Amino acid sequence: MRKMKAVYLTMVFLLAALTLAACGGNNGNNTPATNAPEKTAAADPTKEPAKEPVTLTFLIPNTDDATPYTQIFKDFEAKTGNKVEVQALPGGDYDNMLKTRFSTGDFPDVFLMQPGTKQYVKLRAEETLYEWSGEAGVWDNVIESITEFQKDTSGKAYGVPFGKTGMMGVFYNKDVFAKAGIEPPTNYANLLEIAKKLKDSGVTPFYEGVKDGWPTQVFYLTGWVSQVDQEIGDEGVQKLNVNGMKLSEITALKDLFVKAKEIKDLGLFQKNTLSGTFDELQNELGEGKVAMAFMLDGILPQLEKKFGNDFVKEKIGFFPFPSATDTGTAMITPPNQLMVPSKAKNLEAAKELVKFMISSESVNSFYKLHPGIPIFKGADSELYPSQQTVQEYIDAGKSKVNVQNRLTASFLDLGKILQGFHISGDVDAAIKEMDTNYVKDGNSKRLEGFE
Amino acid sequence: MERNKYPLYFSFPAIIVFLLFFITPTVIGVYYSFTDWNINASTIKFIGLENYKELFNEPRLKQAFTNTLIFAAAVTVLQNVSGIALALILNEKLRLRNLLRMIFFMPYVIAPLVIGYIFRAIYHPEHGIVNKFLDMVGLDFMMQDWLNDPKFALFTIIITDIWRVAGFSMVVYLAGLQFIPKDLIESASIDGANYWTRFKHVVFPLLAPAFTVNVLLAMIGSMKVFEIVMVLTEGGPGYTTEVFYTYIRNTFSSGEMGYATAINMLLFALVTLVGVPVLMAMKKREVEM
Repeated sequence: MRKMKAVYLTMVFLLAALTLAACGGNNGNNTPATNAPEKTAAADPTKEPAKEPVTLTFLIPNTDDATPYTQIFKDFEAKTGNKVEVQALPGGDYDNMLKTRFSTGDFPDVFLMQPGTKQYVKLRAEETLYEWSGEAGVWDNVIESITEFQKDTSGKAYGVPFGKTGMMGVFYNKDVFAKAGIEPPTNYANLLEIAKKLKDSGVTPFYEGVKDGWPTQVFYLTGWVSQVDQEIGDEGVQKLNVNGMKLSEITALKDLFVKAKEIKDLGLFQKNTLSGTFDELQNELGEGKVAMAFMLDGILPQLEKKFGNDFVKEKIGFFPFPSATDTGTAMITPPNQLMVPSKAKNLEAAKELVKFMISSESVNSFYKLHPGIPIFKGADSELYPSQQTVQEYIDAGKSKVNVQNRLTASFLDLGKILQGFHISGDVDAAIKEMDTNYVKDGNSKRLEGFE
Repeated sequence: MERNKYPLYFSFPAIIVFLLFFITPTVIGVYYSFTDWNINASTIKFIGLENYKELFNEPRLKQAFTNTLIFAAAVTVLQNVSGIALALILNEKLRLRNLLRMIFFMPYVIAPLVIGYIFRAIYHPEHGIVNKFLDMVGLDFMMQDWLNDPKFALFTIIITDIWRVAGFSMVVYLAGLQFIPKDLIESASIDGANYWTRFKHVVFPLLAPAFTVNVLLAMIGSMKVFEIVMVLTEGGPGYTTEVFYTYIRNTFSSGEMGYATAINMLLFALVTLVGVPVLMAMKKREVEM
C-alpha cells in the first residue's frame, strides 16, 4: 500500500511538472535556422557564420490596408531571402496589445505606429526602441519638416516616417453642390448659409457619425487649426503640453462647441444623428443624399471601394474648416512611423527591412496603391483632387498639424464626451470633462506638469 | 460495508492547477489593486488605498454601479419569470413541445456578440424591423432610436439579454418540474385546487432548488454583464449604458492596471455581498419548504 502511495505521489508531481513545462516558453529559440549558425560558429570560430534567411514579424493595425506592404515584402524577400510575416492586430486594441507584447518580451521585429513623438512616451522608447537619428541611409530622402517632426526635444528619433501626409476637413459631393448652385464656402458664416440652402433643396447638409464616436471628433480637431490656434498660438499649445493652461480657458474652443450645437439646433445634421455611423456616411455621401461631412482622408479609399476611382476623382471635393474671416487652415496629420524594438529577435534584418521600405522603389510602389501627399523627396504619387486641394494649402503655408499630434497627452475618450454633448448640449460640462480626461491621461503617462 | 474511496491525493493535480491559475492570480490581483501599476511606468509602487479613494470620487463609476444594479435586478427578475412561464407551458403535452423547447433554448447557445450584431440591425431607427413593424401596424408614434436614445438604451439591452437567457432558465425549471411527483398535483386537483393554487402551493415550493440555482446564476451573470452591452452600445451613447465591465475594460485599455484591478475587486466584493446573503436566504427557504 505504501509503495502504491509513493507511486501515486510521484505520478501527481510528474503531472504537475508536465503542466508547468507545457506552459513554459523557450523564447522562440527553437527553430533550426536560429540554432544552426551558432553550431557552425562554435565548430570553427575563425569563420563568420553563414547568413541564414530569417522570417521577420511585422505588426500593423487591421484598420490599415496591408496590401501595399505585402507587395513591398515580396520584393524584400526576392532581394534578401528574408520573409516577412504580417500580423494584423485589432485596430481598437492595437496599442494595448503591442504594449502587452512588449511587457512580456514578445517583441515583433518591425511595427507600424501612429505619428508623433508622443508615441515615444507611450512605448518608453528610451528603454525599448532602436534609435534612428544617426542612422545612415534613412533621412536623405525624407522631407525636412517631417524629419524634424520625428525628433524629440533631445533630437532623438525612435521611429522612421512612412506613408503619406494625412488630412482632415470637410469632404463634399460636387454633384450635390452643383445641383444646388453653390460653391465651397468663403468663411464660416458662408458655410452655414450654404448648409441652409442645401437643406431647403431637400438634401441633408451634414452627416455626423455619433454612434461610432470617433467621427464626431473631426469637427473639433479641424476647427482647432482654423480658430483655436489663432487664439492661443504655438505658445498656448506648449502650455497645454505641460498642463500650464486649462482647455476651459480657451474661448475659441468653447466657441467650437457652440458652433456644433448651433448646427444641431438648426437641424443641419441628418435625422437620427445618434445612430450615425462611418459606414452609413460613405453610402449617403456617395449616393448624394448628404452633401458634406467633417471627416479624415481615410474615407477616400472606402468611397473608392464602394463607388469607384472615377467617382472619388471627379465627384468628391474638399475644403478646410472655414474661419470667421477666410477659408481657414488645412489640418494635416503626419505620416505613420516604422519602429523597431531594440530587443527585436532579428534586429539587423529588421533595420535592413526598414531601409528597404523607404527606398524610392518601395515608396513609389506604396503610393501606386495608396495615393497621398508624399513625405519622401522625389516620390511619385498621383493625388486625388481633394488631396491636391490640401497640397495647395500646404504650399501656401496655410496648413497646420493636428493638435493631437502636437500634444503628448491625449484628449482621452473625446468621442464619448462628444456623444454625451450631442445629447445634453451642455458646453461647459463637455469642456470640463475634456479637461479632466486630458489631465488624467497626462498623469497616467507620468508627464511633466501633470503629476 | 465501507464504501471504496479514492485517495485524497488524486485531487492534487486539480488543486495545483486551481491554486496556480485561479487563487494565485486572485491574490496577486488584490495586491495590485493597492499599487500604481500603469503600463506607461517602468516601476510599480504600493500606494495603499489611493485607488479605492479615487474610485469613490469617479462619477463614471457611480453611473456604472447604478446601471449594473438596474440591469442585474431587471434581468434576474424577468429572466426567472419568463423562464418559469416557458417551462410551465412547455411542460404541458403540446404537439410541438420538443421543437419549441429547442427554439427557446437556442439563443442561449449563440454567442452574445452575434446576438448583439443581429439586434443592432433589428433596432436600427430607420431600417430596423422593430420600427418598420410599429410603422406598419400604425404605431409609428412609438418608433424610437432604441439603442442610441439614453431613455431607452439600457431598457433595450435588458430586453435583448432576457431574450438570450430565458431559455436557459426554462431548461433548469423544466428539469425541476420533472422531479415533482404527479400524485401531489393530482391530489391537489381532486381537492379542488385550481391551476394558480396548485402552482402557488405545490409546484413553486417544490421548484425551490431550481429557483435557487436560477436566481443565483442570473444575478451573478448579470452583474458581470459585458459582451451584450459592448456590442450593442459600447456603454454609450456617452456613458449612459456603462456597466462595471465596460468601465473596467476602458480603464485597462488606457493602461491603468492598478486602478482597473481595484474596480474589479470592488465588483468582486459587490457580487459576494449580494450573492452570499441571497444564497443563504434561499437555502433556508428550501429547508423550510
